[in-house]
Amino acid sequence: MIAPSFFAAVAAVAIIHATAWPMTGHGKIDNATLVIRDGKIASVEAGGAPPADAQVIDAKGATLTPGLMNAATQLGLVETGQADETNDMATTNATLGAAFDVTYALNANSVLLPVARADGLTRAVSYLSGSGVVPFTGQAAVIDLNDTPDIVDQPRAAVYAQVGSASLSGAGGSRAGQWQLLRNALSDARDALKLKDAKPVREQQALARVLDGTVPLVIMAQRESDIRQAIALAKDYGIRVVVMGADEAWRCADALAAAHIAVVLDPMDNLPISFDQIGARLDNAARLDKAGVKLAFYSSGNPIYLSYNAGLGMREAAGLAVANGMDYDHALAAVTRNPAEIFGIANHYGTLAPGMDADLVLWDGDPLEPSSAPLKVFVKGVEAPLVTRQTELRDRYYPAPKPGELPAEYRK
Amino acid sequence: MKRFGLRLAVCALVGFAPTVHAAVKARPAAIELPFMAGVPVSTYHPLPRTDLLIRDATVLDGDGHRFDNADILIHDGKIVAVGAHLVAKPGVEIVDAKGRWVTPGIIDPHSHDGTYAMPLTSVDNQASDVAETATPEEEDTWILNGVNTADATFIYALRNGVTTLQVLPGSTPLMSGRAVTLHPIPAPSVTDMMVPDAPAGAKMACGDNAKLHFGPLNQKPNSRGAEAAMLREAFTEAKAYRDAWVKYAKSGRGAPPERDIKLDTLAAILDGDLRLNIHCYRADDMNNWTRIAHEFNFRITAFHHAVEAYKTPQLFTDNHICAVVWSDWWGFKMEANDGIRENAAILDHDGVCVTMHSDGPVIGQRLNIEAAKAAGAGRRLGLSEPPEHVITWITSNPAKVLGLETRMGSLRPGFDADVVVWSADPFSIYSHADLVLVDGAKAYDRFDPRYQPKSDFQLGRPAGEEMQP
Repeated sequence: MIAPSFFAAVAAVAIIHATAWPMTGHGKIDNATLVIRDGKIASVEAGGAPPADAQVIDAKGATLTPGLMNAATQLGLVETGQADETNDMATTNATLGAAFDVTYALNANSVLLPVARADGLTRAVSYLSGSGVVPFTGQAAVIDLNDTPDIVDQPRAAVYAQVGSASLSGAGGSRAGQWQLLRNALSDARDALKLKDAKPVREQQALARVLDGTVPLVIMAQRESDIRQAIALAKDYGIRVVVMGADEAWRCADALAAAHIAVVLDPMDNLPISFDQIGARLDNAARLDKAGVKLAFYSSGNPIYLSYNAGLGMREAAGLAVANGMDYDHALAAVTRNPAEIFGIANHYGTLAPGMDADLVLWDGDPLEPSSAPLKVFVKGVEAPLVTRQTELRDRYYPAPKPGELPAEYRK
Repeated sequence: MKRFGLRLAVCALVGFAPTVHAAVKARPAAIELPFMAGVPVSTYHPLPRTDLLIRDATVLDGDGHRFDNADILIHDGKIVAVGAHLVAKPGVEIVDAKGRWVTPGIIDPHSHDGTYAMPLTSVDNQASDVAETATPEEEDTWILNGVNTADATFIYALRNGVTTLQVLPGSTPLMSGRAVTLHPIPAPSVTDMMVPDAPAGAKMACGDNAKLHFGPLNQKPNSRGAEAAMLREAFTEAKAYRDAWVKYAKSGRGAPPERDIKLDTLAAILDGDLRLNIHCYRADDMNNWTRIAHEFNFRITAFHHAVEAYKTPQLFTDNHICAVVWSDWWGFKMEANDGIRENAAILDHDGVCVTMHSDGPVIGQRLNIEAAKAAGAGRRLGLSEPPEHVITWITSNPAKVLGLETRMGSLRPGFDADVVVWSADPFSIYSHADLVLVDGAKAYDRFDPRYQPKSDFQLGRPAGEEMQP
């Protein structure tokens, strides 16, 4: 059993002697003191004295970062591969289209969530991988990985559309169809909303929030030509577009930067795994970053990492981006502040600034080294258990029972 | 005749001694057993090379040692010495590795490179070369005939320090076929990539895959029970087939038994001439298949994936079976639900021969990081995992899986000079393979475009594979 949270919030917590990365654009703070009060960050300063009423944690120089955020997972929507009835990350129901909303399916008791949290993830986008109405796959939610039944941070945080070879069949076999269907849907919604007695259908209600700039339209695309189409679409409709996948985005880095289009990508992608990804390369992130494109990371190059290792896979990917030329603090931003800004939660998460939710992780090493792990994780000011189903299996079977002892299955 | 008979007896008794066979064995007898007939001889030749002295490196030798500020001398494609202040003769090229790390080349015991060839298309969806899937018993398929030698994934593996890999057929069929061991250096013929005189392998798959594929097609097996029954049935037949051939070969009388190339593979497994690799996840499955191996007296070289191996480590030590595992895969299917990150470290602590593996070209480029993750989990459990030991999980231990531990996987004098010079600690995500030697020849040099192969497919396309040091 994973016990319900008995890590109740205390009045104040002070973490002292930390090497803190506040992600506020001024590098790191050595010997930092960070104070948590009422679930929020009260202060971060070098050498600060802990308040008298605070529980004090001595970080002994360990690295302290915001809790990390993965910009594309299916956490809360998937449980066990191949057992389809446990998975809710796609629908074949042809009536929902852009209106399809993952929020209704989110499962806070999923065993994937504690694994992601124990790897340092405290926020995640949970998105849909396919739907019956091409090109839309539906609306994603931002979740926070606190240890309660309510994990929704931001419902309907973005509308998703997919173009390219992965979803051609639904558009009749040509990506020209995908783009025209997408443009038609946006035009129809815009026209319908202009009418005096507007009665937009559900999909148009979802698109209304894209058209008025409330949420971004995330276009999943890999090939350069599709990314350039996404840039053109953003301009034509005056909407906020985010490109996800984007393996060939480095080929149009300047155009993306000029259009202020953010990119969600997997820095591990470097294989020409499909004809859409012939230009995939390990320095995609570094090149986009240098061009000034805002980046957020996820990890799908190895499909198992998308959700089952949503924390570790993303950290490994971010480390790989640094190994291939990206500035370290920019890579950290791509797993904290940047996704928060892209998905509309930057007013309460993403940096270690006073007033922000106290999502933080104290690390046993460099957070971008996948061999490192969190020492402590706080979500909204509450220290989260680092117990997972896997650590329980580990502790049950290791060390192995000696002859004469009850079998491992009798251990708790 | 006599020597031939003796060899057969040794095989029957030992059954599974790791043997290194030339593809065509020189037998004194006039009548040869046909079980290994047709296996091609390697036509691999080392790339052009000069003798090398690598200087001032932090060396992890693959035998459990770490040497700081050490030199490695390479002559004629073999390791001559690892030590301090080695002296090179004139003409020996010096590689300054100050501040860098040197390890044996990485060995991937479970790759699908060449069959899971880039780019994947709808053609692969319709019919893939990863495995023949028409029936559950495809032991007569040899994956070497399916390898696309021009596949870019070989080059990606090479660039990241892989010097030898075993390509296995996919795990949809119960009896998947024969494996092949290659150097990831592209060439027009698969025999040009074959590691010379490497023992041959075979692959089988237990558990969910076969029953989930064939069951819904109304074919056997649709249960684990039928999988075990089919295995026993096949080996019963193979034993009779082998005995008939042995009798015929010994006596030299009568008509030869009818050839059956499916049974050839199983007979070669019984003889220990094919090293058996079994895809298996659950502890109970691995125990069941090991019991059947005992019944028919064949040896299992390794269980691959083995996500529940930590539940039954003694199975591995008692039966001298290697565990070929991932660092962190779990949950993607029912039988993988109980995967834990400490699997490798726990098995290693218990004395099991444990190795990492890729199973796919993404982590096939980062087996060093796979090992780093698995070791990190072990350290947090209190198991000491120094780098000089962890390196064995991707070098000398997989060499044992391939039966190549007497010539590769460590930097011992006389061993093949398969060597990687890393820019930094190879267990750091920030490290790069700077120089990759196969048989002492530069197969990849991160700083020299002359040693940076590119796949045919990527020519004439806006490919993205060039790396900027």
